[in-house]
Amino acid sequence: MDRVEYFNDMLVRLEELLFHELSGCAAWKVEMVGVDFIQSKKIGGNTVDEVVTGCIKEITSNGLVKDMAYKVGGKGVLLKLSMKECVHLPKEVRLKKDGIKPYLCPITNMVLDQLIERLHYETTYLARLDIDEKRGECKVQCAIYETADKIGEVSDWSKE
Amino acid sequence: MDDILEVIKTRKSIRRYKADPIPDKILDKVLEAGRWAATGENYQPWRFIVIRNPETKNRIGDLAKLGSGSRMTAWYCLGEMQERFKQIEDPVRRAEVLRFMYSGEVSEFAKQAPVVIAIIGTLMEGSVDVPYDLSACVENMLLEAHSLGLGACWVHGPVASTRDAAKFKRILKIPTGMGEYKVIAYVALGWPAEARKHPRPKKSLEDLVYWEEFGRKERS
Repeated sequence: MDRVEYFNDMLVRLEELLFHELSGCAAWKVEMVGVDFIQSKKIGGNTVDEVVTGCIKEITSNGLVKDMAYKVGGKGVLLKLSMKECVHLPKEVRLKKDGIKPYLCPITNMVLDQLIERLHYETTYLARLDIDEKRGECKVQCAIYETADKIGEVSDWSKE
Repeated sequence: MDDILEVIKTRKSIRRYKADPIPDKILDKVLEAGRWAATGENYQPWRFIVIRNPETKNRIGDLAKLGSGSRMTAWYCLGEMQERFKQIEDPVRRAEVLRFMYSGEVSEFAKQAPVVIAIIGTLMEGSVDVPYDLSACVENMLLEAHSLGLGACWVHGPVASTRDAAKFKRILKIPTGMGEYKVIAYVALGWPAEARKHPRPKKSLEDLVYWEEFGRKERS
């Protein structure tokens, strides 16, 4: 039995019904999904670069994602993540096929969780999740706020 | 029986309030309206936390600002907010409105409301309709508040994300277990300091109603 397929199939069913119940708000409810894995690791670091790098190391070395990269921009508010061959990609593809825009990325949740837990970031928000099934890639844009004062720190993310 | 359609049609979300207090007699009527809402199998899962302490309201206002602002800042950076407000032709006015939104100030108004009522529901008594019952309860309260001359606003955004809902629960000392209480929203309440100037456009019944089956427009 393919265990990854088995668990992804269950996630798809759960995500479908959550979206059906809550509409677009479902995306705001799922930020803790996936964090148990990363919380079980000892991610160190005192900066965004160190923490994100530490997360990527755990995520890739445990086979959850084959290749993963990040970039911080937008006056420190934008965190871009790109992932190749994520174990969860098949669930995103199936959701898209079923007419639901993918909204739950456990890998992103792991990284954002550690910014909050390790660096005490005030809040974070997964703003955009793009799936490219042909390339086997996901690209994510997140807003990360070190302090409440960073709310309203706007820039044009299309230029990043 | 009185027809309440006019009460329903003239209600508007009010986010600016006078500092005048709400007498207990009036406040109790709003709570009573919530108590009498439709509820599956009469479970009445709702519980109300009435907040008048300025410090607590400030904390709720700050949380609301954080929730809305964190999302709207990102939406602005992605160009989505500009698209949403493109109908405002004056660029200076548009910029002001956008800044008001993405700064999160749009959601801070709990600080000025004389009363904030948190509507939570017990998940421990067997009801299978908690979010729906709570929504009916909130609507009842809004309509009663409006009929009494009060202004009110149903606020969900600040308790919508899992982490923010947990923060909200901690502010009010609500048990935080996911199987204990659901926070559906809070209602900010006060004597209105703004009038219903521009009713938001509503879709016509013709656009909304089907007869006998989905998609059938002819009245049966």
